[in-house]
Amino acid sequence: MSGRRDWLAGLYAAGVTPASFVPDASVGRASERDEAPGAEIELVEDAELAVHPVAPGPPPAGVAFLDGIQQWKVIGYDGVLPIAVAYVAAAVRRRGPDRRPHTVDWEERELVIAPPAALRPDRRAAIEALGLEVVPPAEGTAAQPGQLLEALRREVHRARLSLEKALGERALDRLGGGEWLVVDGQLSVSALLARHPRALGVIKSHGAQFLEGRHLERALTIPASHRTSVFRVRGGHGRTAVDSWYLRLWPWEGNDLHYGLLRIEARPSVDAAAVSGWLAGERTPLAAPDARFDRLLYPIHDVENYLRSRAPRDLLASPASRLPRTGT
Amino acid sequence: MRAAPIGRVVATELKPATPHQFHFWTATETSIGIGAIVRVEEGGGGKGEGERVVYGVVTDGFAYSDLATPLHDVIGAEGDPARAAAAPTVRQEIRLWTAAVLRQIPEEPLQPVPLGGVHMASDADVAQALRMDTYVHGAKPTAIPVGLYTSGGLESPVYLDADFLVGPEAAHLNISGVSGLATKTSAVEFLLGSIFQHFPAHRGKVAAVCFNVKGPDLLFLDQPGQLQDEDRRRYARLGVEPVPFAQVHFYAPFKADGVNLNTLRTHPDLADAVEPLVWGLTEVLDFAEVLLNRDDIDAKADAFIDFLSDRVVRRDFDDGFGGQHRVETFADLERLFRGIFDGLELASRGDIWRTHHIATIRKVRNRLGNVSTRCKGLVTDDGPASDLPWGQFADRTVHVIDVANVDPLGQDLVFARVVSKLREHLERRDLGVDAVVVFVDELNKYAPADGPETYVKKMLLDISERGRYLGLVLFGAEQFRSQVHRRVVGNAGTQVFGRMDADELATPGYQVLSPATKIKLATLPIGELMVRHPHFTQPIFVRFPRPPVLRGRDGVERFPPAPDLPFEEAVVRQLLRVAPAIRPNQIKDLIAGREEQDVRRAVGAVRRERPGDILALFRKRLGGRVAPEAARERTAVPPLNPIAEEPY
Repeated sequence: MSGRRDWLAGLYAAGVTPASFVPDASVGRASERDEAPGAEIELVEDAELAVHPVAPGPPPAGVAFLDGIQQWKVIGYDGVLPIAVAYVAAAVRRRGPDRRPHTVDWEERELVIAPPAALRPDRRAAIEALGLEVVPPAEGTAAQPGQLLEALRREVHRARLSLEKALGERALDRLGGGEWLVVDGQLSVSALLARHPRALGVIKSHGAQFLEGRHLERALTIPASHRTSVFRVRGGHGRTAVDSWYLRLWPWEGNDLHYGLLRIEARPSVDAAAVSGWLAGERTPLAAPDARFDRLLYPIHDVENYLRSRAPRDLLASPASRLPRTGT
Repeated sequence: MRAAPIGRVVATELKPATPHQFHFWTATETSIGIGAIVRVEEGGGGKGEGERVVYGVVTDGFAYSDLATPLHDVIGAEGDPARAAAAPTVRQEIRLWTAAVLRQIPEEPLQPVPLGGVHMASDADVAQALRMDTYVHGAKPTAIPVGLYTSGGLESPVYLDADFLVGPEAAHLNISGVSGLATKTSAVEFLLGSIFQHFPAHRGKVAAVCFNVKGPDLLFLDQPGQLQDEDRRRYARLGVEPVPFAQVHFYAPFKADGVNLNTLRTHPDLADAVEPLVWGLTEVLDFAEVLLNRDDIDAKADAFIDFLSDRVVRRDFDDGFGGQHRVETFADLERLFRGIFDGLELASRGDIWRTHHIATIRKVRNRLGNVSTRCKGLVTDDGPASDLPWGQFADRTVHVIDVANVDPLGQDLVFARVVSKLREHLERRDLGVDAVVVFVDELNKYAPADGPETYVKKMLLDISERGRYLGLVLFGAEQFRSQVHRRVVGNAGTQVFGRMDADELATPGYQVLSPATKIKLATLPIGELMVRHPHFTQPIFVRFPRPPVLRGRDGVERFPPAPDLPFEEAVVRQLLRVAPAIRPNQIKDLIAGREEQDVRRAVGAVRRERPGDILALFRKRLGGRVAPEAARERTAVPPLNPIAEEPY
C-alpha cells in the first residue's frame, strides 16, 4: 500500500488534515435496513399462510455462492468535510462435486468518496494519478460532518451492491445446466437475477417485514426445519416480482425470534419445498465463529472469508488501543 | 520454464520466519511430507538485496480448519458424526508445514527466510541443500552413496563425504534402532559395499573388520542375496554395483574339542573359507587385564604378570633352582610354575621368589590357568596361534570374526586384541591398508553408558576420540543409543537411525528432533533411515536398497551348518584345507591311537608352518609312536602246604 501512502502524502500536502477513522461497519458489513417501501404481497401457495415441514434433500451438483464486502476509512478532513477511501469487493465461488468452493469470479474496487468541495483540482489530480475512482456522495453536500459520514457510508454500500449485481449477472451467464446461484441478500435488486429459474436470494436480516398480524406471528415462530407458504413480493426495492418464503434453520426457542430464520427469494413458481430441503442442509457445517452463524450459510461465510483474505489490511481498525501506553 | 510453486512461506507474529526455521502452506493434496526437502525463492520482489534461495527440510506438519472450537462441529452436525461427514460443503482447511533451514544462498548476511514461493527440490537442489556439491564433484571427489532421498516422486542420491566418514576430518558411524526392524546390519552391509566401491583411490586402501556377535548375521557376505527390480533400480541410481563382497575372510575359534569350528558357517560348500582363530599364551598375556577382573588383579599380581610378559615369555629363562625354561605356551608356563613351587619347597627358601610372594604367584597361576579352560577353543594350552594376517591386509577386503557362540569373556578378549593389533599396525603404517572400518554390533554391551570402566570400554573410547587420525574407524550399532557411552556416540561423525522405540525417543538425546520427526522415526519402514552427517545441517531421511549379500537367516537355510565331525574326520578336513592332495586315509592311519592333544598340536603346527610336505611335518610333530608294553605273564606260585582236605 505504498501507493496509497504516496497519494495520501500528496493530499495532506495540499492542505487536507490527516485523519484515521474506521467506522464500525467497516470491520464487518452491517445489515442494511432492507425496508421495502410500497411492497405488496400475495399468497401463492396456500390460501392462508401455512407452515410446512421441510424434507431434507440433496443439494444440486453445482451451486455458486455470491457475496460482497465493503471497508472504508476517513483519511482526512478538508475543514470539516470528511474524505474517505473505500474498498468493495465481491466474489462468486462455485461448489462442485468435490464439495469444496472454488472461486470462479472476483472483482474489487477502490474508490475515494468525498464531497466535491473537498476535492480541489490539485487534490483530485493527486488521487486520479494513482488510478483511483473519485466518487461524490449521492446525498448531496450536507455541511454537517455527521450527515456527510452517513452519506459516505451509503455510497460505499451502493458501490458494493453495484459490484455484487454485476458479478451476479455475469455468474448467470456462466451457470452450467442444473447449477444454481445463491446470492447473499435480495435477489430483486437485479431483474436478471430475479427472473432466473435457478437463482436464489438468501436474506438474513429482517428489517423489511412483508407480513403482519397472525401471518407475521406464524412466520416468525415457525419451528426449525419448517418453512412458510410462498408469497409473491411486488414493488419495494426491486421492480421485478419474486416469490419469497421464510425458512427456519435452527430452533429459535431460548433465543430470539429471528434466530436461524432466513427469507428466501426466488423467481415465481420455483419449487420452494425442494429448494428449502437442500438449503436447510446448508446449515452444516456451522458458520461459526461468525456471530451470525445461525443464519449465515457456510458457503457464504466462505466467500466472505475469501474476500477478507484479499482485502487491504489498512482499512481495518487497529486491534491495539490508540491510547498511549502508560507503562507498568 | 520454472515449475509452479507447491507452497508459499507464511509468517505471523506468533510464527515468524527466522534464519533457521520457516512455515509454509500447501494445497491439501500435496506430496510434501516430513523429511521433504524444499526450495524457497524470494522471487522478483526482492528489494534490491538480490534473490535469496533457501533450502529447508520439513520437520513438522499441521492441518486445521476454520473451526473455532470442536463444539461448533458437534452443534452443526447435531451430534451426529455421519451428518458432519455428509455436509454439503467441506470446511476450508490448511496444510501448514514447518521446515528447518538447511542452507541459504547467499550464506551471508544470514537473514530470515523470505516470504516467497516454495518449490519441491530437484536433484541439483538436494545436492546444494546438503552441501554435497563440495565433495560430489571436483577433481578429487570423496562421495560415498548412502541412500536415496525420496519425496514427491524424486529419487536423489545422497552422499556422505569419505573424509568425514573414514577420516581424517571426522570419522566413525553410529547406527541405532530397534531389533529386527531397524535394518542396522543391512545398512552397514550396504554402506561397506558402497565404501569399497567408492572410496577414492587417492585416499589409499581400505579394509573392514566385522565382529559377528549374534547368529549368522555376517557369515555370508561373500554370497549373493536376492534382490528385487526395485533394489536394482536403486543401485543403478546410486551408482553402486549390486554384488557381494569379492574378498571376505572368515575367522572363528574352535569348539571345545579343538578341531570343529565354533561357527554356523560349517556347510561343506563354505567351510573352507573359515580360518581358525586360535591364540596361545603370548597372544593372551598382553590382554590379561581383559580376562581378569579388577578384584583378581591387584598391583602385585599386575606386577607379576608384567614380569612374566617382559622377562619370561619367549626367552630362555632360569628359574633359579636349576631349571631352564622357554615359555611359549600355557603348558610351558605351567611347567615354570611347578618348577618354582617345587624349588621353593625343596630349597626351603621361604615364600618369596624373585620378589614375588608365592601367594601372588599361585593366584596368577590359578587365573591364567582358567583362561584356557573358559575360552577353550580360542585359547589353546600348548598349540600354536592361528591369527589374522597382520601386516598383510589387502585393499577392499572384509575380515569377519565370528564370536557369536563364544563365551562373553572370550568375546571381550577377541575384541580387545584385534582392535589393539589394528591400532598398533595402523600406528606403524604396516597393516597393509590405510584405513580399517571396524563394525561392532551391540555397542551398548561393550561401551555401556554406565557400569564399570572395562578395558574394552576404554579402548572404544580411545578409538572414538583418536581413531580418525590413525584410520581406525568404528562403525557401531546398538538398539538403544541412550545406553551407549556418550563419548562413543558423540564422536561418531555420522549418525544413522532406523526405526526407534518410543521410550528411547523420549530420552534427552532426541530433544532436538521435532515431534513429527520422532513419530516418523518410530514408524520408519524397513529400508529407510535418518542420517546425520557433518555436512547436513539437519537430519535427512534416505532409503537404501537391500544389501547384495545373503542375509544371515537365508544363508543358514541355504547352507545349513554341518553337524560336528568326529575327531578323525575333523582332523582330516583341517589338513585337507592346507593340502588338498593328500589322501584322508594316510592321515587317519597316522592319528590312529594317538592322544587327541598331540594330534591337535601337530595340526596346529602344520597350519602355522604350511610346509611343502605336509605329511612329513605332521608325522614329525606327532612324534614317534611308542609301542605299548605287553603285560608280563605272571607265573603262579603253588602253596607251600596245600590243604587237600580243606572242606571250604
